[in-house]
Amino acid sequence: MMQFTETLPQPLHQITSFPNLFTMNKNQIQRTTTTRPWPAGFPTSKSLGNFGDTNCMEQLLVHCANAIESNDATLAQQILWVLNNIAPPDGDSNQRLTCAFLRALIARAVKSGTCKMLAAMGAAINAQYYSCNHLAVDNHKFSVIELASYVDLTPWHRFGFAAANAAVLEAVEGYSVIHIVDLSLTHCMQIPTLIDAISTRLESPPLSPRLKLTVAGTIEDIPPMLDLSYEELGSKLVNFARSRNISLDFTVIPSSHADGFNSLIEQIRMQHLVYPETSGEALVINCQMMLHHIPEDQTISSNNPYSFVESASDLRSLFLKSLRSLDPTIVILVDEDADLTSNNLVCRLKSAFNYLWIPYDTVDTFLPRGSKQRQWYEADICWKIENVIAHEGLQRVERLEPKSRWVQRMRNANFRGVNFGEEAVSEVKTMLDEHAAGWGLKKEEDDLVLTWKGHNAVFASAWLPA
Amino acid sequence: MPLDLDNSSTASGEASISSSGNQNPPPKSIAKKKRNLPGMPDPDAEVIALSPKTLMATNRFVCEICQKGFQRDQNLQLHRRGHNLPWKLRQRSNKEVKKRVYVCPESTCVHHHPSRALGDLTGIKKHFCRKHGEKKWKCDKCAKKYAVQSDWKAHSKVCGSREYKCDCGALFARRDSFITHRAFCDVLTEATVKVQGQPENQNQPEVNPKSESHPKAQAADSYSAPPPPPPPSAAATAVVPAPVSAPPALTQSASVLSSSILPGSGKLIYESKKLPETSTQFVEETKATPAAAATATAGLNGSCSCSSSSSSSGSTSSCVFASLFASSTASRSLQPSHTAVFTEVITTTTRADRTVDLASSSATDPISLCLSTNNGSSLFGTGGQERRQYAQPSQPSISATALLQKAAQMGATASNASLLRGLGLGIVPSSSSPSQQDNMHWCHGQLESETASFLPGLGLGLPSGGGSGLKELMMGPPPGFVPKQTTLDFLGLGMAAGGTPLSALIPSIGNGLDMATSPYGGGEISGNDIGSSS
Repeated sequence: MMQFTETLPQPLHQITSFPNLFTMNKNQIQRTTTTRPWPAGFPTSKSLGNFGDTNCMEQLLVHCANAIESNDATLAQQILWVLNNIAPPDGDSNQRLTCAFLRALIARAVKSGTCKMLAAMGAAINAQYYSCNHLAVDNHKFSVIELASYVDLTPWHRFGFAAANAAVLEAVEGYSVIHIVDLSLTHCMQIPTLIDAISTRLESPPLSPRLKLTVAGTIEDIPPMLDLSYEELGSKLVNFARSRNISLDFTVIPSSHADGFNSLIEQIRMQHLVYPETSGEALVINCQMMLHHIPEDQTISSNNPYSFVESASDLRSLFLKSLRSLDPTIVILVDEDADLTSNNLVCRLKSAFNYLWIPYDTVDTFLPRGSKQRQWYEADICWKIENVIAHEGLQRVERLEPKSRWVQRMRNANFRGVNFGEEAVSEVKTMLDEHAAGWGLKKEEDDLVLTWKGHNAVFASAWLPA
Repeated sequence: MPLDLDNSSTASGEASISSSGNQNPPPKSIAKKKRNLPGMPDPDAEVIALSPKTLMATNRFVCEICQKGFQRDQNLQLHRRGHNLPWKLRQRSNKEVKKRVYVCPESTCVHHHPSRALGDLTGIKKHFCRKHGEKKWKCDKCAKKYAVQSDWKAHSKVCGSREYKCDCGALFARRDSFITHRAFCDVLTEATVKVQGQPENQNQPEVNPKSESHPKAQAADSYSAPPPPPPPSAAATAVVPAPVSAPPALTQSASVLSSSILPGSGKLIYESKKLPETSTQFVEETKATPAAAATATAGLNGSCSCSSSSSSSGSTSSCVFASLFASSTASRSLQPSHTAVFTEVITTTTRADRTVDLASSSATDPISLCLSTNNGSSLFGTGGQERRQYAQPSQPSISATALLQKAAQMGATASNASLLRGLGLGIVPSSSSPSQQDNMHWCHGQLESETASFLPGLGLGLPSGGGSGLKELMMGPPPGFVPKQTTLDFLGLGMAAGGTPLSALIPSIGNGLDMATSPYGGGEISGNDIGSSS
């Protein structure tokens, strides 16, 4: 760490010389701020630790983004340089956060080719650049065992699992056939606990219930990535269910978020149409951090299969409406509570910066520095940041929406929210007790919200057809 | 995997220490209650520094008759009484015994300083042992190790009682974690095969403190006579045709489900266990004859046309390379943008054929590297199953190719002396871009023909390490050992590895030229060399 103590004074020095640097480009800055305004009083998170530094980093990132967007390569270079000095990739959590944004901005600058200087470099090899930037973050392909323990490290996913399991159990009581449509980012990692819960807690039917599990075989590689095919994964689940005395049918339907999981919905609809007895099943739609991949921007989804519909709404709302038309027994919607949908890069950057500090901040509580898992974990956040910052259009899949907007969408799609029962709340609380002290649980109306140091991280909601 | 709990266990012993960071002595009333507040010793206490040996010594006081050792002199004295030896117990309260505090002999330790001394002998012993001693007490049941015997004893009492253990040896503190692991662990698969369809939870080695699952599961067993759990072999294929073993009432719907799935809807159903065998076969094949395997894969993917065009390019390795891309391109046709990228890569590769002859001889060559790594298994792993094709096997190779081009490009720009070029951002005449690209390929070839290890050092501020260096360059540095300029250099903002201070921004641009050579002693390859080659 000698190196660290030696280099530490440098950033300070550089920050002090920073105003000079900016006066050089004063006109430039003023121009960009007037042409590209952003919310002036954007709330900065209080628990971002070293307040001044974080603010400074955020401001630098904003300036940099503006410079890139306005083709000012010189200014962009200079800010990138400063940022690079104050945000080493092995620094504290805020420095690492900033570093990830820095990389994402570089990727954007190179890829977009909006900067003339960078365009020269990027033009000839633009295509390769895109892909190499896409790969700049090395996202680990998890073995299924690795993924299981990875998901287990933090409440980030387990929160949704625990809440969903409890709510589903309550909803499917009395049904002998349960059809679970699992739209989950984490490749069925929730299913074993659900199977287990069903096998141990559902007693009413004399025959053990029959489970059908349908998953969307997405073709996009979105972290966390699994190195196992869904068929093999399915065989493991079938095996496990059998060991719990439950018969499980496992089905993969290749479908993509890009068209709102169209083929998946249609497939289920077909089953219901052609075989009316399937309507006697409990249909559980379990959406865990996957729906935010569905395009919410009308300009993107204009060529979607629903375009014949008088499109007053976007693909995301249409998806929810088509879900509603399946008349599900219950819909679980769990997602990250942030707004990353803005078309304005700076807005998005600020929003992401003020949300994604959470995963960086939490990591110290469950993974030691330098551990493999930690590298995987942070690489996956990096991927997210890069996706938000460097990509546009269909490639930008990290389109988080805040809970309030999801609630509105669900209501518009004719769902009504239901309470999580006492059971669910106590399950979640027990689960949180097993993790670091910073995690908390909040009840907001019908929904549950996972918080970190008081800030909303993930929300869970349950919905019935209204 | 259970997290290593060592920290927490040791921390618990010293929680009071860490919480006592401020050295203001607390109000006396509180100080009285607490025992020897560590880290806030009485200012006029006697500070004692014991040697590590003394601290680690157990049973320092030995009876000269029976050689029995004692930790305390007082106990030895009591023992001596039994031998009818003269003994002497220290008298209590010979008015205000001088208070003693103990410092840790380890100079790097916070408790080395008298102001953070610990208040009692046992405390300092345990501290020294835990923090600076060897963890020689190992739990038989799990992997945990302890330096202090009493910690180990405390752990041994609870170990296993609140933990779940899988047959594979993994331990879990939580039921959920265990369940999830269990479902995906290979042990379960094997066990089920062995037991031939017996419900697995009868001989399940699960340790369940609440013992909630067993009674119910067994109860469920007796219920479940009508639909007996299908034997594995049947079950493995059961889903596809019609679930023979399903209860009659359900058969219809189930078979309906299956049949609606099958006809060409592109739907995948969990099939049989033959797959692993097929996959290993494929891997072997790949190793033996790459070209043959490539055509085989291509055939499987139904994208023969692509592979045939590329296989005519002559070089074996590039043939495999290209056909891999061909297959992924084919399966990615849903996404135009991706396809474009991949096609681009294919053409790149084909054009780079000229250099492949040079390159393929060296083991660190990125292309051959990409082909020989375990991508083989993941790529061919699932035989003809189409979903697998979506995984991008091409990742390392793309980055390698792009890197090489980037390296060449940067070398070229570095030879120009303007300010911005010094930053690695020099303008390449865009009018000549097609030929430019050709040039880059030549560069790329030449680079490869040189020692491969020089590549990462090429103005990229990275430790040169052959293939791994390449990877790090693309991925950004793993925390810990990479110079912090890396990200910046990723863009090519030439900073010498020494870390040029910002105040020297303008002057240092001249130095920017040195970046290609100075930090890592690229040696013969200077920026100019590369520049002239383009």
